[in-house]
Formats: sequence, structure tokens, C-alpha cells
Amino acid sequence: MKKLVLGGNDAVAYAVKQSRVDVVSAYPITPQTSIIEKVASFIAKGEINTKFIRVESEHSAMAAAMGASASGSRVFTATSSQGLLLMHEVLHWAAGAGLPIVMANANRAVAPPWSIWAEQTDSLSQRDTGWIQLYASNSQEVYDLVFIAFRLAEASLTPVMICMDGFLLTHTKEPVEVFDNEIDEFISYKPERDILDVDKPKAFGALAFPKDYMPIRIKQHEKMLGSIDKFKTIADEFSLISKRSYGPIYQYGNENAKLAIVVSGSISETAHLSVDALNDEGIPSKLVKITMFRPFPKEALKKSLDGVDKIVVFDRNISMGKGGIFKDEIVGSLGLGNVVGVVCGLGGYDVNDMDIKETAKSVFEGKIKQDTILWGEK
Amino acid sequence: MIIPTQEIMQPNHLACPGCGAALAMRYALKALGRKTIIVIPACCWTVINGPWGKNYAGVPVFHTAFETTAAVAAGIRTSLEAQGKNDITVMGWAGDGGTFDIGLQALSGAAERNDDIIYVCYDNEAYMNTGIQRSSATPVGAETTTTPAPLLKDRPKKDLMEIVAAHSVPYIASATIAYPTDFIKKFEKAKSKRGFKLIHIFSPCPPGHKFAENKTIDVSKLAVETGIFPLYEIEDGVYKINKKPKFRPIEEYLSLQGRFKNIPKEQMRAIEEAIQMKWQRLQAKAEYLK
Repeated sequence: MKKLVLGGNDAVAYAVKQSRVDVVSAYPITPQTSIIEKVASFIAKGEINTKFIRVESEHSAMAAAMGASASGSRVFTATSSQGLLLMHEVLHWAAGAGLPIVMANANRAVAPPWSIWAEQTDSLSQRDTGWIQLYASNSQEVYDLVFIAFRLAEASLTPVMICMDGFLLTHTKEPVEVFDNEIDEFISYKPERDILDVDKPKAFGALAFPKDYMPIRIKQHEKMLGSIDKFKTIADEFSLISKRSYGPIYQYGNENAKLAIVVSGSISETAHLSVDALNDEGIPSKLVKITMFRPFPKEALKKSLDGVDKIVVFDRNISMGKGGIFKDEIVGSLGLGNVVGVVCGLGGYDVNDMDIKETAKSVFEGKIKQDTILWGEK
Repeated sequence: MIIPTQEIMQPNHLACPGCGAALAMRYALKALGRKTIIVIPACCWTVINGPWGKNYAGVPVFHTAFETTAAVAAGIRTSLEAQGKNDITVMGWAGDGGTFDIGLQALSGAAERNDDIIYVCYDNEAYMNTGIQRSSATPVGAETTTTPAPLLKDRPKKDLMEIVAAHSVPYIASATIAYPTDFIKKFEKAKSKRGFKLIHIFSPCPPGHKFAENKTIDVSKLAVETGIFPLYEIEDGVYKINKKPKFRPIEEYLSLQGRFKNIPKEQMRAIEEAIQMKWQRLQAKAEYLK
């Protein structure tokens, strides 16, 4: 292992290089582009044997990825924002067909107005496509999650999307511990799966009447729920190699917290400081970061939020006419009444540790009772 | 030539009686053999190939989204190459809606990249699977449920072969089931060539074109003999006409089909003029682009 200074996109490209990916199919879009540029340069230099399909749109990127995966290859793609939205239809196809594709999504706001900066509304709009979603909070996580994602996708026969905040994560360089060949055995394991095979001529995805369709969907749902445990098992195996542990959620701070700050993505890094400050001020607080969003880590969150007086969810996303999406999911899943949602940081709007701290404190002290918006310095 | 006796496509498929597309697949697979993988988007063949658990094509089939045929086929091809499996033919098999309209972008992308696939459009000149709505392959004067009389289709059919030819691909051909040896030869040629191949099949549809189900071959044949659907190839940019039309009166073709029953006389003449113009251009290309 060695330490390199990498942005999130570089970290993804490195991990893809080390993951023995057979086929990459991708289209450039800001701020994802440097991932596929880097992969292309690895191929050009002969450092990897990956085939690269230079498609004419994100829609075709996912369609080609689907064809490649259905015929037995390990496949990667990357996208962002409008590109992800263009893929929407094919995301359902890939998940419904049980294809273990791994995709990195650079979380970016959606137009209009045009914005190239961070926001999670793009990936959260894909919530119901049947993809496992993992949210990274720093470049190290991005790097590690690529390996875990391939193993998880192949074990669950479900595609995995790794989400990382645009620019804040994709382009900010930080030290990342990368493997030499310690990861080879972990990543070389590929389970047998049903693929297009001329010796076994089956049809995949044919018309299903209601009596067939519903059991297929229920099975897919159960497979998805089962991937929580698979994630834990694979992450444990990964931690033996990396000494870094992952789970559906991550916690930091006071174990007997009365106040919980719940976040996802890069705000998690900032919120560490806020939690430290709150604990210093005598408010027992903790940070809960949601890493696995689909399937929803209900049990882990329940355990974590049990006994906490006040919960504040910071959402860098918005469902128009409702509010922050993670907040809504937590309330809906756990049936809690002590949760306040804070929409913040849309379209790359700055979110700093002091503002998070002050907002959470106001909620704790009962000064903020309703869902709100964090403006910070206007 | 002898038509291969081997039957890969199986009986009991769900095509309508007299379906041109069913016969087209049967011939195509005779030519291509069992080492073929097919991609099928939303189209009549989604139904013809049978419901969940069935596969009447007899070779692996991947059902996919309407506009993704060429991209999925490209993905399969690339994946097979990555695995060193170079003896398998990958065929996209789409209708005119999925080719001329919604799938055109992916088709253009695969053609431009020269992906090593055979893209087949079985063209029944309308959205037949959803119940006969116009497509951009519907000819002038045809009645469909979205162009009901007197609002008949008033724009000419898109020229798919020429659009794909503009991508400089190795092989493009038109074919129809009334000429099975020509049809099979073209699929064999397509199989033998590396790179992007397009085969445009005229595929008569009894319920859509409104003719008796025993007239499919007659309609196919008349489309060629009237000059409406010329049989030709473009091989590495070289044009070759496979059959000189007899230029039989257009009425013979149109009167067989209920979809043209409301066509005004002047539109009929316009079709004749268009046939002649297309023919002259084709002949000129065959002459100069040898």
C-alpha cells in the first residue's frame, strides 16, 4: 500500500484499473469526465486490458453496459446529473435484468438553471430504479467503495451506484491510501451467473404476465433487502485487507448522544467539526452518516437513533413540494416524531461547520421546530 | 444456392398469420446459424418470441428498451471480444419504429464506431405492435390510426439505407422474404464481414397493411417489382443493384393493401415519380460508385 494525493475522480479511476474491469462504456459529463479520461489513458498506455466503448450518449452508455454485462463481462460506467437522468429508463432495465454493473455518479444539481455544482437530487431521483446506492464522504471512501461495489453487485446480482459530491469530492485532492496488489485476490472473485450463452439459448427480459411479473418483482425486492447483509460481509472481508471498516451507516461522536446530526456525502466531513464543537459545548452529540441508501439501512439507523432526543437531518437535495429526501426517508421508515429536516447546499451552495452546529443547536434547544433551510452566509 | 435446411427458429411462436417478420427471422437464422445472440427492443418480436420462459428464436435473446438495440448489441460484441469469443454473431433486430425513429441515435452511434454487429430493421412501415400508428418509415398515402383518412401520411419515407451509408460502414443491404436466396446470401455476407452491417428488410404485415394473410409473399414481391423497394447492396461504398425492377404499375401493389384504399390519384402519381427519381439516383450511384 502507498499514499497518493488523489481527487475522488482519480480515486475511482485507480480503483477501476485495479478491479479488472472488462468493459467501460461511458460518455463525458462535468464533473465526471476526468474519471473516463483517466481510464482511457490507462488503456492507451497499455496498463489495463479494458475495452472502452465511446458511446454517443449516457442512454447508450448504460445500454451498452447492459449488453456487456448480460454477456458476462465486469462493467463500469460513470455519469452525473443530466446524464444520469437521461439513463433513467435504462437504470430500471439494468436492475430488472439483474446485471451487476458498477457506476460512479458525480452528484450534481439539475437544470434549469444550469448548475455544475454539488447536489444529490440527481441520484436520489433514481431512488426507485432498483440500484443499490452508496454515498461516499471522501476520496478514500470512493476508492474503497469501488472494490466493495463490484463484489456487492456480483453477489447480489444488482447494479451499484457510488455517489460522490461533484467538485467537493470529485476534484478536491487529498491523501488516499491505494493498494499495490493486496486487493487482487479480493477483487478477482467473480461468482457464476446466468448470461447470454449460445450453448444455452434463453430469452432474457421477455413479456411477463401478471402472475409471473409480480413474483419476479418481489424476488428483486427481497434480493435488494438481502444486500444489506452482503454489504456487511463483503466490507468485513475488505477491512481485513485495508484495515478500514465500512457499514450501511457510519457513526462518530458521543455514544450517549442526545442530539444526532444525520448527513450523507461530503457534508459528513464538515459535520465532524460541528459535532466536536457541540460536544465541547456540553451538548452530547453524534454524527450519523448514511452510506447505503438503497436498500435503506433501517435497522442500523433505528439502533443508532434510539434514545436520541433530537435528530437533525441535513439534506443536500430537495423533493419539490416535500423537502429533504433523507429526512423524509428516515421519518417514513422509522416513524420518528423528533426529526427536523434542513435543506442545505443546493447547487454547490456552501455549507460550513459553524452553520451546521448552530442550526443543530437551535433544534436541540427547541428554537427550530419545523423543517427549515440552511442559508449560512447569503 | 441451396437454402439451409436447418431450422433454428421454433414453431408455436406468437406471430400473426402471414407475418413477414416471422419468416424473415427464420431465414436470417438459417443463414447465421446457432452461434448468434439477438437483441430485441420493443417491437412485434417482443411478442413473437414468446412470453416469460419461452424463446422461439432458438438462440439467446436479450429483450431491451425501445431505443437501445444498437447500443446493447455493441455492448455484447465488446464483451465477447473482451472474453476472446470471436465466433459469435451479434444481431440487433428491431422494427421501423425502433430504427427509423426512437432508435436512430444509438444506431448512428454504433455505425459511426463501426461496431461489429448486424443491425436488422424489419420494416413493416408503421408501429404495428401498438396497433398501426405512423412511423417515419410509413410511406406517402398510407392510412394508419394516427394518420386516418383524409389525413394520410403526407411526407416521404425516411431513407434509412442512405442515412446509414453516410456513416461509411462496410455493408448495407435491402432484402425481402419474396427473394429468399438473395435474402440468405446477404445475411451470409453480413456475417462474413467485420464492422457494422445494416440489413433493411421490407416486412409486409397483414393486419397493418390490410391484406389477406396468404398474400405476404405477393406483397413483398410486388414491392420489388414496382420499384417501391429496390433490392440493392452498398459494399464498402460500392453500390450494386441486385434486381432490376419491372416497374409494374403501382396500382397493382397499392390495390392489394387496404391501407392505401383512400389514396388520392395525384398522390399515386407522386409515388410513381418518387420511384423513378429514386431509381435514377440509385442507378447513377451504381454506375459511378463501382
